[in-house]
Amino acid sequence: MFEHLINGLVLGGTYALVAMGLTLQYGIARIMNLSFGDTVIAAAFAAYVLFTALGLSPLLSLLIVVPAGFAFSYGIFSLIMRPLVRRSANSEALEVDSILATFGLLFVIQGVLLVLFGGNFTSYSYLNVPVDILGAVVALNRLSALILAAVLGGALVLLLMRTRWGLRMRAVAISASSAPLVGINVIQTSRMAFAIGGALAASGGVVISMYQTFTVTSGVVFTMKALIVVIMGGKGSLPGALAAGLILGLVETFVAAYIDPGLTLASTYLIFLALLLLRPSGLFGKAS
Amino acid sequence: MSEVLKVDGVSRRFGGLLAVNNVSFAIEPGQIVGLLGPNGSGKTTMLNMISGALKVSGGQIAFQDQLVTGLPAHKIAKRGVARTFQLVRSLPSLTLTENVLISAAYGRERLWGAAALDKVAENLALVGLEGRGDEPVADLTYIDLKRMELARAMVADPKLLLLDEWLAGLNPAELQIGVDLIRRLQQRGITILLVEHIMDAVRATCARCIVMSAGAVIADGPTDQALADPEVIRAYLGDDDA
Amino acid sequence: MKPFLFGLLVIGLLAWAPLVLNDYGTGLLLGLTGYATLATAWAMFSGPTRYVSLATVAFFGIGAYTVAVLSETLPYPLVLVVAALIGLSVSLVVGLATLRLAGVYFVIFSFGLAELVRQTVTWYEVNVTGTLGRYIFLPLEARHIYWQLLALLVLTLLIGIYMRKSRIWLALVAVGDDEVAARHAGVDVTRTKLALFALSATIITLVGAIQAPRWTYVEPTIVFNPTISFLTLVMALLGGAGKLWGPIVGAIPLFLLFEWLSANFPNHYSIILGGIFILIVFAVPNGILARLETLGQRRKGEAQ
Ligand SMILES: Nc1ncnc2c1ncn2[C@@H]1O[C@H](COP(=O)(O)OP(=O)(O)OP(=O)(O)O)[C@@H](O)[C@H]1O
Ligand SMILES: [Mg+2]
Repeated sequence: MFEHLINGLVLGGTYALVAMGLTLQYGIARIMNLSFGDTVIAAAFAAYVLFTALGLSPLLSLLIVVPAGFAFSYGIFSLIMRPLVRRSANSEALEVDSILATFGLLFVIQGVLLVLFGGNFTSYSYLNVPVDILGAVVALNRLSALILAAVLGGALVLLLMRTRWGLRMRAVAISASSAPLVGINVIQTSRMAFAIGGALAASGGVVISMYQTFTVTSGVVFTMKALIVVIMGGKGSLPGALAAGLILGLVETFVAAYIDPGLTLASTYLIFLALLLLRPSGLFGKAS
Repeated sequence: MSEVLKVDGVSRRFGGLLAVNNVSFAIEPGQIVGLLGPNGSGKTTMLNMISGALKVSGGQIAFQDQLVTGLPAHKIAKRGVARTFQLVRSLPSLTLTENVLISAAYGRERLWGAAALDKVAENLALVGLEGRGDEPVADLTYIDLKRMELARAMVADPKLLLLDEWLAGLNPAELQIGVDLIRRLQQRGITILLVEHIMDAVRATCARCIVMSAGAVIADGPTDQALADPEVIRAYLGDDDA
Repeated sequence: MKPFLFGLLVIGLLAWAPLVLNDYGTGLLLGLTGYATLATAWAMFSGPTRYVSLATVAFFGIGAYTVAVLSETLPYPLVLVVAALIGLSVSLVVGLATLRLAGVYFVIFSFGLAELVRQTVTWYEVNVTGTLGRYIFLPLEARHIYWQLLALLVLTLLIGIYMRKSRIWLALVAVGDDEVAARHAGVDVTRTKLALFALSATIITLVGAIQAPRWTYVEPTIVFNPTISFLTLVMALLGGAGKLWGPIVGAIPLFLLFEWLSANFPNHYSIILGGIFILIVFAVPNGILARLETLGQRRKGEAQ
């Protein structure tokens, strides 16, 4: 029981971390990124390569993979998203365009990973030693994953809530149309949000690779779950993403433990649907 | 049947804001009633609740002696309530004719084919858009879009017509045409609830006015009396000061 | 009368083609007809309403898998009926739950639906029936499958033609433009969307069911391959999802291109596919046909 709670928190912490990235991209940059989960998986593979080929521990590989995720997403925004943002007459058009473009991107990333790594399940063994916490046995890699997620997520929240830069981000999230009136460059802010979202995706990928098996095609599921967390938490809300991510992780772990591991995705969907029907604006979103 | 519309203790809340607060009034058949009030006083919200675009937070609305509270907008439209929108809502993928036709096709009579097209042409002529039915609405000017909306409302032969600042943005000559048009609609026996800021137009069309301020009705009576009410004057002046 | 005769002639020629074509040619024609039907059925709902559905393969897979499960126990025509009914029921449930919500929620949900159905089917097979993967032994040759698909395509087009003459088309386009305005004109927006989504999904289910015997061996990862959703969407968008013939116009060149790519670049197929798609989003936001039409209009405008 206690063991499941901890495992649920590990999973939930990872979801929350990844979803924070997506909420930055969707809530602030207003790009619905269907290739988000594939960025996560690409980072997981990068951590895998760094670990097996160079013997780099995931903690160190964060120093490489996270900036790479940032740079990649920065590039994608400048190259693909910015022209779409520019030409879109309204937010609806941008939403559809970005969904379609990132759907294409999903296949590109997946295709590249498939060429490089093939379609097999991949994992590596890092800190795979049991530790005893108050009677529950948990793998050390999971524990470090949880701590890592908490540190990274916490740093982001502090950044957004305590700095001028964070204030700009939040202003754009609340009203992209009036932000320019107070001298905020929306495109620049959006690009930054999108890139940081990519950096978070990359960090999430590294964290996931520490304790989970993954394949080239697992990206879709991560995108889905991150989207569900974002919508549950209310688009653009970091505390919402945190809470919703934890809930999702706990539910999945308990469903897997007590009902059937094959039904976790179904249970996720069920929560999502129930929520959409009961509270369309999300758990923490403002009711309209 | 005594009243076309009866609004009884209706309220609407948006989070902490009480946009419409316990409003009651009734409208007799054939009247043109003005619904006035400073910006943000809840006029559009009131129309939205009558037409079913918004649910009420409390109270009841009856149309032709039958409760319509909680009914979806399309059902209320089918019973004979038509409206225009403060910010014009057109269907830009469609032509002018099709924009109006949809309301004939899905309105009370569910017209289709030649009968429907005749009716559309007739109503386009009524609002001064005759012969222009094939134009894509995406190309129309703002004023013509407003005319289109009125034709779309009228083509369904409504019993009650809700106009939300339909005259706003017209120049004096157009305003006169608009006022005449509204009077002509009344002669057809249509009851009209008219939200308007242009006082001359209100005086020229409405025998009676309901004035709202901060969500509540502060005056209701013959137009001259309602507009001369000290509280109404204060509400408008206070609005100007702010 | 003339277009009617011309249509009959074209259908006749297409039906006759497999009698003279070799196996490869017939297979190509079969695949093309399958995608043309998928894209046309997809556009029937998503074109006018602009609700982008990424769930094509969920229904396609349901159809194919139903045939795999039932082909031994029921006569073939009945299997198709059951498949259609299952597709219809699933689409009604999904539609009821998601179509009342903003378009973007629908996109997200449809995006994951195939994965959900795939995992659920896998779970069911592993835990309840104890099998994963099934063989389909039906005495159907490629041309038989092709004729069925052709008939379904013709039926789908006929429905499309009929719809465009009836008031429902007006309602669908209105829903895509402005739901509030549509509602106030008397359109039952939710019911209209649901009906069309279910119709489109049922046709897509049937395509999967009819094509299933092409694979003799079927398992969830094969029939729920997300590339199918993707290709369908790309074809419809390229040709113009709002036009009756648009999806077919898009399906022909893209299907041939994809065939060529998968034959010559089997390993880089998905990369090229994704790249092409991004280019399409950039180059033709409203589809080629729509684009031609706007160009035509502009020319007319200049002439006046
Ligand atoms: N959908 C909504 N969500 C939240 N608040 C709303 C919503 N619609 C209206 N309001 C608020 O309710 C109040 C009344 O608005 P309403 O549009 O009814 O005013 P109005 O009398 O029509 O004003 P105007 O003359 O400017 O059109 C305003 O304070 C407005 O901000
Ligand atoms: Mg108003």
